This record gives sequence, structure tokens and C-alpha cells, in this order.
Amino acid sequence: MGVATVSSSPTSPSGGHLKRPGEVELLLRKGALVRRRLVILVGHGVLLAVAAASAAAILFVFYSIARDAVPFFRVRGFAEFFTGTRWYPSAHPPAFGAVPLFVGSALVTLGASLVALPLGVAVAVCLSDVIPFAVRQWAKPMLEILAAIPSVAYGFFALVVLAPLLQERGGPMLALAAWLVGAPLAALGVYVAGSSLVMRLPARWRPWVRPLVFALLAVGAVLGLAYISGRLKMVIVSSGTNALNVSIILGIMALPTVASVSEDALRATGREIREASYALGATRAETMVRAVIPAAASGICAAVMLGIMRVLGETMVVWMASGNAAQIPSPWYNLLAPVRTVTATIAGDMGEADHMTGSERYHVLFALALLLLTIAFVLNLLSEWALRRARRGGH
Amino acid sequence: MQLSMRRLLDKAFAGTGVVSLVLLGAALLAVLAPIAWRGAGAFVFRATIEHRRLMLAMFSRGNPAEVEAAVARTRAAREPVYKMIADFEAQLAAGDPAQRHKYAKPLRELKARLRDLFGPFPGEPRPVLMRDQYGQTRWDRARVKLHRVLFREEYDYSDPTQWGRKVLRPRQEEFQGTAVEPLFAYLQAHAEEMFEPRWTLYWRFFLDESRDAHFFGGIGAEVLGTFYLALGAMLVAVPVGVAAAVYFTEYAGGHPLVGLLRTFISTLAGVPSIVFGLFGLAFFINTAGVSRSKSVLAGSLTLGLLVLPMIIRATEEALRAVPWTYKEAALSLGAGRGRVVATVLLPAALPGILTGVILALGRAAGETAPIIFTAAVSVGKPLHVWQTLSQPTPALSWNIYNLATEHAAADEIRHVQYGMVLALVLIVLLLNVAAIVLRGRLDRRLRG
Repeated sequence: MGVATVSSSPTSPSGGHLKRPGEVELLLRKGALVRRRLVILVGHGVLLAVAAASAAAILFVFYSIARDAVPFFRVRGFAEFFTGTRWYPSAHPPAFGAVPLFVGSALVTLGASLVALPLGVAVAVCLSDVIPFAVRQWAKPMLEILAAIPSVAYGFFALVVLAPLLQERGGPMLALAAWLVGAPLAALGVYVAGSSLVMRLPARWRPWVRPLVFALLAVGAVLGLAYISGRLKMVIVSSGTNALNVSIILGIMALPTVASVSEDALRATGREIREASYALGATRAETMVRAVIPAAASGICAAVMLGIMRVLGETMVVWMASGNAAQIPSPWYNLLAPVRTVTATIAGDMGEADHMTGSERYHVLFALALLLLTIAFVLNLLSEWALRRARRGGH
Repeated sequence: MQLSMRRLLDKAFAGTGVVSLVLLGAALLAVLAPIAWRGAGAFVFRATIEHRRLMLAMFSRGNPAEVEAAVARTRAAREPVYKMIADFEAQLAAGDPAQRHKYAKPLRELKARLRDLFGPFPGEPRPVLMRDQYGQTRWDRARVKLHRVLFREEYDYSDPTQWGRKVLRPRQEEFQGTAVEPLFAYLQAHAEEMFEPRWTLYWRFFLDESRDAHFFGGIGAEVLGTFYLALGAMLVAVPVGVAAAVYFTEYAGGHPLVGLLRTFISTLAGVPSIVFGLFGLAFFINTAGVSRSKSVLAGSLTLGLLVLPMIIRATEEALRAVPWTYKEAALSLGAGRGRVVATVLLPAALPGILTGVILALGRAAGETAPIIFTAAVSVGKPLHVWQTLSQPTPALSWNIYNLATEHAAADEIRHVQYGMVLALVLIVLLLNVAAIVLRGRLDRRLRG
């Protein structure tokens, strides 16, 4: 009680008429005042120090990784690491060409993006504008659970469930997937293309040309799909642990990130833009595609970058299920080839390089980590910038 | 564009969204269902007499008299098998050397398969490895092994244009017309009597130590290790994270430097987890030397750094969500800033902070990459608390990887791997559900 009086009195202008006997004494206890000031100052200082330290941690991580990466570049230079295509760190003489690893990471990231981006954005649109609130309350925790499952559990699933499945019935599964994805798309495409074709014809031809055009297009689409799925069915998956397997799983893992960040961005655009568009007579699809999604574009970009970051930095799934072959697939887009990513290399090789601190094998892993860290840093800055833009655009 | 087409496109658009949501649910189900189903098999399964024998010998569980009686019954049921083999061997030893030569290899193989199924033959010396001392403890594995006794797997390469085809050849054919021939029919007819399988709930799988590199026993050491690591990470990250968040929300103001610090922290959140692992190795172990090699301490510090941004973000949000009026009321009563934070803001924000801490706990428990080089070993005993400062530990996440990819008999112990995955997923998901429920309560409180 006394302390409170002391601290408030000097600053409070109304303290004068509340003076009671005894307060003067309290005010005069300078020692207490000084001590209190000191406590505040120290507390403030400690908080500042802790905050600054936790922010500086990233710099320190950078420094630590870079310090162990530099010896590698000093001895071997940059050329081999960034352009070499042979990765044989334990051979004599060793080869440290990291291009196969970069290609592996890029291929897996590309494959996962093909899964996660369309699906993620579609889910985000669905969550923000399509489904009713009650359903949304159920769908959101689903995303959170998907994001919470540990990566090693995904890796185990990829290795023990998905890989044997792909290896034994890879071709038929791919064909089925082609039909499942292709059929609705083809139906839609046929309708749109047919209608717009028919629209260009003179009005008196339309009634009898229309069924003809539609039938032709439909037959063409079915034949095309049958051809594609037939080709896919013939595909022999020689090993279930390959880039395709990993891409699917990583896509599922990145999905929650992409979906929830995009959804936030879509919501942040606000009601006015939607209402304006509806008032002009646009349908929901037109509103979303022409007005809301462009307005939320920078937020969705941020979501994409965060998703890519998640995929690029993921270790356990790729380590367990990518096949770990440090070679460039031929052709480069061959998702059925086993690949080896940067992260899996760090995880896998450090076990062997563990006790050889100071060897090139040890330091080259830090060089890889430094590269990874730099990419993550740049992507993060970009996504941060995009998010800030999105926030400013939303208001 | 025609109106009907616009309407169709609109429907297709909504349909795409709903289909993708359904796909998401399907993906979740596809991942979780096998884990839940097969993982439950580690806890509830048909245990054979070998399991009961093992439990009695290793953990002194079960009624000794009952187990003895069952062992006697199954031994009696197995007796004819051994007798047939012994008779045949005696016959061979006495008979034609050509016969002996012809049957040497098939017989050796048959005996090896039988040992896999039943454990060592009666009268044989006790094998060194525990996995060889007992027969199959699970009925599903016993069935697989029985199948391997009955059939020999071969690959048929007769068609040069095709890959080798797997063919199953009954072993009975190899022993046509010998004393061993009836053995196969006997095995098939009396399998249950030789094992006495019984539905068993082995809930102690969670707590038991593993025996003989996870061939037997449970995952106690791994669960404990995960617990230590996650808790240790919280001990590191929560005080630091909460203090930093308090500074950012209450003290920092709008200085441009603060924006930079925030950017740094969000960058820390984006660092790949494997890089954290490398950092932990390079700094905590090799440079700072918190322990001579891997230890729970080093792992916890690394994981703590990993979850720090999560804690800071959650605490900041929780502090910001506290109504402005609380603070004004406290300030108007003459409380200083520190007092307001300690007695008003933090208590009011506590549920929000707790939600963040629970989520971070789940994240720390599930991470593998940061502990590979800093804390995890494949085989180890459960640690005492004081040992965490200097000793490495097995942990669920790492051992899932290790058992699934590096274990010598990964196929034999799938049930253990699934059990581990289920345990880890359950721990993480329960923490998440707790956080979701807590947040739901919180929303309601702040709204109402």
C-alpha cells in the first residue's frame, strides 16, 4: 500500500489535496524510491535482453552454421559444389557435386506443389466462402490435425503403407487417379468448349450442330483420357520409394499451411468487395475468381511460399521414402525415379560423419544447411512482405 | 456468356471446393486409419503361450501354476512334431548315405523354420539371443511362420521376358513318403493347441522396457525419452518466450528496431528443423559443450529454440486479446506497469498462453530431425532425471525411423513400429485436441 502511494504521488497532479499525515514520511524515504526505480529498470532490462536474445537467436544460428560451412568452401571452392553432378562424399577422392541433391529437392517440391497448391487454394476458398459456418467448425480442426501429425508418422506411412502399394499396383493406381481427376475436368471442359464453339455459329445452325459438337468433343475427351490412363497403366514402378510417393505425402503435409494462410487472406479482403461484385450481378464463382482472389493474391502468394518452405525443409518423409539415390532423374521430371534431397543428405550423412568433426564430409553438410537456411530466410522475408501487403490491401 | 453456362461454372466452382475438402478428409482418414488399426494391434492381440511364458519370466506377470499347466499342454501337443523329426533323423542315420545327402538340406531348412515358430527344440542348448529362446508370441506372427513351415517361397525365372514370379511350393512334396510327411497335416490341424492363442490386452506396452532390441516388451524407454525431451524444451522455451512476448507487447512500443526483431523471430520459425539439429550439434555439443556427446539436455535446448517462436507468438496473441479495460482499471488503481503485467495481464492471458504451450509441447514431442544429432539413440534404458544432463535417450520419433528402416528384422516387428506411431500420434493429437477445446472455451469467455 505504502509503496503504491510513493510511486503514484510524484506523477499524480492531484496528490496535493489528498495529503495525509505520514505521506510526507513515505515520500522522504528516498532509499525505497531508488530501489523501486532500480527494480523497474532491471526488470525492463532483463525483458529487453531476453527479447533481443530470442530475436538474435536466428543470427546466431546463421553464424554457427556459416562458421562450419566456411572451411568447406575455403578448401574446395564454390564451383564443384554448385555445378558438379557427382555426389560421392565418401569415395576416394571424394566428389561433392551437390546438383543432384538440388534437383532432388526441387523435383519433390514441384511435385508436392502440384498436390498442395490447387487443393490448398480450393480448400481455402471452400472454407471462406462456400460451406456454411457449422461445417467450417468441423473442417478447421481437420486441417489442424493434419498439420499436427508428426512428420515421422507421415514418413512411416509413406514407407510402410504407400510404398508397397505403389510398387505392386502403381500403374493401375495412376490410371485410376487420372480418371478421377480427369473425368470431371474433361466434362467441364467439354461443356465450356462446346458451348463457346456453338455460340459462334449462326443461330439457325445451332439446334442440330450442338449435339454433334458435344458428342464429338465428349468422344474425343473420353478417348484422350482412355489413352492417358492406358499409358499410365503400363507404367512399371520399380521401387515404391520414389519422388512421386514423397510428393504426395509432402503435398498432404503442406496442405494445411497453404489452406489456412490462404483462407486468412481471403477473409481479410472483407465484405465490401464481395457485396460490390454480387451487386453487379456476378455469380459466386465470378466474384471469387475476378474480385476476391485477385484482392487476396499477395496473401495467397505468402501461403504458397510458406507451403514451399514446409516442403523444402521437411526431412523425415524424404529420408524414409524418397529412395535416397543421389542422381539426377532422367528425364528430369521423372517422378518415379528415386531421388535424394538436401535435407535427407544432411540427416543421413551426419550419422557417418558424426565423429569426424573437421573432415570435409562434416563441413559440406553445413554448407548444405547454410544454403537451406538462406533459401528459408529469403522465402520468409518474401512471405512476410507479401503478408504485410495483404494486410494493408485488406483495409 | 450464356446464363446457364455461368450457372454451371458457378456450381462446378463450388463443387471443386467441396470435393477438395472431401479429399482432405479422405487423406486424413487414409493416413490415420492404418496407424490406428494396426497400432491397436500392438496393445490388443491374440497372445500365444509363448507370450505368457515370456511375461512370467521377464516381468513376473501371470499365474505361474496356470502358465506351467498351459506350457505342459502345448508341449504335449508339439511332442509328435519333434518325435517325427527325431524318428526320421534316426532312420536317415541308420540308412542309405545317398538318402541322407538328399534330405540333409530340406531337413535343415525345415528345422530352422520350426525353430522360428516354436523356439528351440527340446534338449537343445539355450540360444544366446532372446529372440531365439522363445517361439512366436503373437498368433498373427505364428500364422505367418507356420505358413513358412508349410510352404517354401521360390522365384520362377522360367519366362525370360518377365520378372521372376513368386511361387509357393509345399514342403510336404520334399518329404514325400518319409516319416516326416504327416508332420505338415498335423501342424495344420493342431496349430491352436500348440499355441493356445488368447485375446490379450497388453496395455503395459506403453510402459514396459523393450527386450532384445524391440523383439519383445514395450516402448517404455521411448515414451519416457519423448516426455523428457518435450518437457525440457518447454522448461527452456516458456520462460524465455513469455518474457520476450511481454516485452514486445507491453514495453517495446513502435520502435522500428522492434519490427526487425519480430522479423528475426518469424524467420526463426521458418528455419528447417534439420538445420536446428545441425545447429544443436555444432553449438550446444561441439562448441558450448553442455554435454560430452548427445544428451537429453542438448536435445531439449535445441527443441526449445525450435518452439520458441510458437510460444512467443501465442503469448503475444493472448496478451493482445486481454481487453484494454483490464489494464486501464489496474493502472487507474495505481499499479505500476510491472505489477499490471504480473497480476492482471498474465493471469487473464493464461489460458491463451497455455494453449500455445500445449501446441508447442505436441510439436516438440513429434519432432525428429532436431534430436537425431543431439539427443537420440536407438537402444537405451529409461533414464533417471539426473541422467538427462549427460545421457542420450531413445525417443518415440527417432525410434520409429530407426525400427522401420535400420532394424535388422524390420518386417518381423511391424506391430511394434505401428504401436510406436500410434503412441506418438495419440500423444500429439490429444495435446492438440486439448488445445482446441481450451481455445474454444476461451473464445466463448472473451466473447461473452
